Amino acid sequence: MRWNSKSENILEEQEMMVKIRFFARFRELLGTDLITEAAAGTMFTSLIITVAKKNPEGYAAIFDENGVFHEYVILMKNGKRIDIADAVMTPVDDGDEIAIFPPVAGG
Amino acid sequence: MIAIQTDDVNIGDLVIAAKRRGTGAVVVFDGVVRDDDITEMELEAYEDFAIKELEKIAKNATEQFKLLHVDIIHRIGRLLIGENILIIIVAAGHREEAYAGSRFIIEAIKGSVPIWKKELTKDGGRWVPGEHKHGSGKPRSNRAMNTSIFLLPVISVIFHLG
Repeated sequence: MRWNSKSENILEEQEMMVKIRFFARFRELLGTDLITEAAAGTMFTSLIITVAKKNPEGYAAIFDENGVFHEYVILMKNGKRIDIADAVMTPVDDGDEIAIFPPVAGG
Repeated sequence: MIAIQTDDVNIGDLVIAAKRRGTGAVVVFDGVVRDDDITEMELEAYEDFAIKELEKIAKNATEQFKLLHVDIIHRIGRLLIGENILIIIVAAGHREEAYAGSRFIIEAIKGSVPIWKKELTKDGGRWVPGEHKHGSGKPRSNRAMNTSIFLLPVISVIFHLG
């Protein structure tokens, strides 16, 4: 920790507010429009694991037994799709909107 | 008109409004709630993103098939058997472009627009699985050209003036 970086560290340690939106079956199991706190440096996948663990059925709908997103799950961050492989190392930022949903079925 | 809404639309009015100089054909796709031993259908959308996707699809179809006009109205909320779910109205100079443009739009919607359907039955309900099963993981085989097993597509040429 640098001597003159006290204010920076305070900022880094502040909780971020992230909006998580589940849809369709995931919404029924886990809710939607969840405003959740996340520590600076939290990664996309770890945040969703934490939230989804509140409902075992919801967790099982999204993650496999190894804590990896099921292949069919679609991930978005601020309107852009995120690959499952990249989500592990994708940080979330304050004010982000994350969307998690099953394959689309419109039309 | 590109919209996601609960209200129905007057298809006749849209057909009239779609015609403009150079129009030779107007194709109407009307996807309706089929009686599959259900009581109602409930639809939900990730509206902000779904609208952007519909606008992108309409733009791509217009450019690719030289369309003169495109309307896409996707309804959400609870719908009864026989009610309209999705109305696509396409105007073009000739029937070939109009048919192809309409088909392009419905297949693109099924592939990418975040909208979901739940069939409600007297015993509960079931989410309709998407035709495109791949998510953000490694894509599986492409099922893009499967015909819908969930809708009764009513496709009709309203006008063929070309």
